[in-house]
Amino acid sequence: MSKELLFINELVMGKLRNLYDELVVHTNEVSSVMIKIVNNDIALQHAQTLYTISLYLVKNRRTFVLESSTSNVGELLRLVEGLRDYAGMIQESELYAPLPEPKPYKPLDNLVDEKVVAYISNPTQLCELLINSAINEGAQRTSGTLKLSISSKALTTSNGFEGFERGSEVVAYLRAFRGDCSGHWAYGSRFLDPRSLEEVGRKAAQYSAVAKDSANVSPGRYDVILSPLVVGNLMELIASMASAFYVLSGFSIFMNREVGDRVASEDLTLADVPRDILLGSSTAFDDEGVETYDKEIIGRGVLKTLLHNSKTASRLGVKSTGNAGWISPRPWNISLMTGDAELEEMINEVRNGLLITNNWYTRLHNYVEGVFSTVSRDAVLYIRDGVVVGNAGRVRIADNLNKLLNNIVMIGREQYLIKWWEVTTPSKVPYLLVKDVNITRPFD
Amino acid sequence: MSEDVLRYIVDYALSLGAKYAEARYQSDSTLVMIARNGRLITLGRSVNDGVGIRLIYNGVLAFSATNKLGRDDLIDVVRKAVDRAKALSHLVRIPVRFSDEEVGRGSYEVKALKGFESVSIDEKVKLLGEFHGRVVSSVKEVKIPTTYCEYVEHMQRKLIFNSDGGFVKGEVPRLSIMFSLVMRHNGKGSLQRLMHWGASGGLELLDRWSPREALEDEARNLEKVLIYGVEPPKEAVDVVMGSEVVGLMVHESAGHPMEADRILGREAAQAGESYVKPEYLGSFRIGSEYATVVEDPTIPGSFGYYEYDDECIKAYPRYLYKEGLIKEPLHNRYTAFMLRSRSNGSSRSMDYASEPLIRMSNTYLKPGDMSFEELIEDIDFGVYIKSYMEWNIDDIRWNQRYVGLESYLIVKGELRDAVRNPVLELTTSDFYSRIVGVDKELRFYPGTCGKGEPPQGIPVWFGGPNVRLSKIRLGGVTL
Repeated sequence: MSKELLFINELVMGKLRNLYDELVVHTNEVSSVMIKIVNNDIALQHAQTLYTISLYLVKNRRTFVLESSTSNVGELLRLVEGLRDYAGMIQESELYAPLPEPKPYKPLDNLVDEKVVAYISNPTQLCELLINSAINEGAQRTSGTLKLSISSKALTTSNGFEGFERGSEVVAYLRAFRGDCSGHWAYGSRFLDPRSLEEVGRKAAQYSAVAKDSANVSPGRYDVILSPLVVGNLMELIASMASAFYVLSGFSIFMNREVGDRVASEDLTLADVPRDILLGSSTAFDDEGVETYDKEIIGRGVLKTLLHNSKTASRLGVKSTGNAGWISPRPWNISLMTGDAELEEMINEVRNGLLITNNWYTRLHNYVEGVFSTVSRDAVLYIRDGVVVGNAGRVRIADNLNKLLNNIVMIGREQYLIKWWEVTTPSKVPYLLVKDVNITRPFD
Repeated sequence: MSEDVLRYIVDYALSLGAKYAEARYQSDSTLVMIARNGRLITLGRSVNDGVGIRLIYNGVLAFSATNKLGRDDLIDVVRKAVDRAKALSHLVRIPVRFSDEEVGRGSYEVKALKGFESVSIDEKVKLLGEFHGRVVSSVKEVKIPTTYCEYVEHMQRKLIFNSDGGFVKGEVPRLSIMFSLVMRHNGKGSLQRLMHWGASGGLELLDRWSPREALEDEARNLEKVLIYGVEPPKEAVDVVMGSEVVGLMVHESAGHPMEADRILGREAAQAGESYVKPEYLGSFRIGSEYATVVEDPTIPGSFGYYEYDDECIKAYPRYLYKEGLIKEPLHNRYTAFMLRSRSNGSSRSMDYASEPLIRMSNTYLKPGDMSFEELIEDIDFGVYIKSYMEWNIDDIRWNQRYVGLESYLIVKGELRDAVRNPVLELTTSDFYSRIVGVDKELRFYPGTCGKGEPPQGIPVWFGGPNVRLSKIRLGGVTL
């Protein structure tokens, strides 16, 4: 496979090298199967075999990007020719920098779990495991997905970089229902671990049963424990806002901040970890051929770096952080450093608060000021004096991201590998306890 | 891609024992320009084409996609889908079946009056520069630190063949623009606005939208809101929601909960379920006589336009809510079978690699016959919320929140001072029950609606008139 993709890159490079000043060819092949589970039943098996080719092209400091998922080579070449004609018509890119000089990179080994390869052709056993682990824990019905994939990427640049990687990924999430209550859990990694799939079903079912009695929670300020699913969703947002492109475009709370500013509680350390091979987007090189490295975005509460490609780095006078994205840098994998608290200790600590086990629909009123809200789904446990006393139903966190980051008072001692619909960047995240969070729901 | 190749795929699937098979060739190509502060960052092209194959084997619904279009590649995809379905079939409790339908054979095409190629690239780039220039020059006391713009030309072609004899060919060009601005004032902080334009058609849409003038007006109005905006009233007041907010509200609280796959729980772990239960259909009262919500894929020039869905069912307008009653959900052939109904042509896919799902097209609240002035003339003290930034809704489409951006006090029937960040947080029943008047100005706004796994973004319009709600409490945001 590596030879085949790199050969295609070389072929494209050969055809286009003389037409453009700089060129990057990125080919990708993905084989995946996803099983959708609905009400304990198999609702769909979804399989893909996709081949994509993406080109980054520069002519006279004008930049072009071509994304294609086609086998129509003729159409592809026609578009490439057309783009060259545009070079004389458009202005120099607002964000141009020459491709970084190629350097050797240290490859990541063992990105493929052969068990994933084996189960792609028949994932039946894993689906049964996922469903049964929830049913055995008392769930009445379950819905979710199991996705297995193998992907290969090859990157070739006109100034001499050549890289290839092949990796596997498994993503599983399940929502378990018991009467009107539900719980949800997720798992994402390059490696298939049946115990982790069992844990997905078990934890989802457990949260569907923790509190049957409903608790009437009025709008107001509460101390709130956020589950790893919620932490994953919010930290993905924060890490994405560290993309220098988002900062320059007005979609970031870091727009009015400088590296070195305190932006969060002292205990909070949030890192981009592309070299953590447990996580599904681990990679040794970015889309410009720059070697990746693990880095703190926020270290002990202080903004340590933005995420850069060569263009944003050049604009802001720093070095690339190996996070290209040709246009926008992005985090690869997210890790939030653990603290020393057990979940039980956090619950004991709460006098009047909530444990929010899952959320979705996080939206911002103002990216620069961090005004946002997000809606809970599944179990929301109301806690009085260290004891869970009921299920609060659907509530909303409506607060400010800056405040939330600064009000973190306890961090769980265990990281969970999370990826699902609302956490699309592979994440290793613990539970968090945040004080004084604004909780809303419709007025009665 | 010809009908013959698609027919060959379908026949091969049937020969392996599939009870139903469909093959859809879909091509999506775009031109995208991204600009910051009026200067081009990059120009992108994309081309995305391949075949999506769906079949039912032993009660298992299987969807497979590939862009390797050789005969052997396609056969291999079908064979693997059948093999996996065989292995999974013992886990199936309720076999998947489709409703019997009259499937269509036809074609449709949206013709651009001014083709995408009729204006040169440098003119288009210049336009993006003008957008920024107009915004910056139209404000006096605030700064505009950043604007950001994405301009997209999209051409979508579909060719669909299924084992029930359906054959549909569709071609739709679409144009869309997203513009974001950050506005800052020393002492008053900042605000942010995202504006969207989108429709099917060609560059004639630019003349219709007049985006330069719209951006000037927007920046001027928002400057007043930022500098002079007052706190929203604490007591319950009459609230008038502008078309832009109303459109979003009906999309979220009528369109989504009336998707029959949600009602049946098929999206439970992703986009959620619905407060609507099967027994509510046709009888449950959700609102006042003004609560009539229409879903219509056939509106000419709309962003969500189509004439046949991806299961080859002819599209037509549907009433989701009618005069306060829950009426007809959006169906595909699977949900129609499960709920003993007929498909109403709501199945669409984002691209060839995506499973056809029940999707909205163009959703709107039915307008009335009074003017805006008449709608507000007897409001002694209230709030008019014209636009929004933040919103969200829970997973059963009941508890929702909208945060106003451009908003004004209404005093004795007239718009007065600007209001900053009024928050409307209410239930679906609250919204539709509190409607006491609607004006006649039906306006539509574009959106990209998300659903499914892998997630699919689909172009839609949502719209409505200005709507008056009786006595409701507003909140504020945490700055």
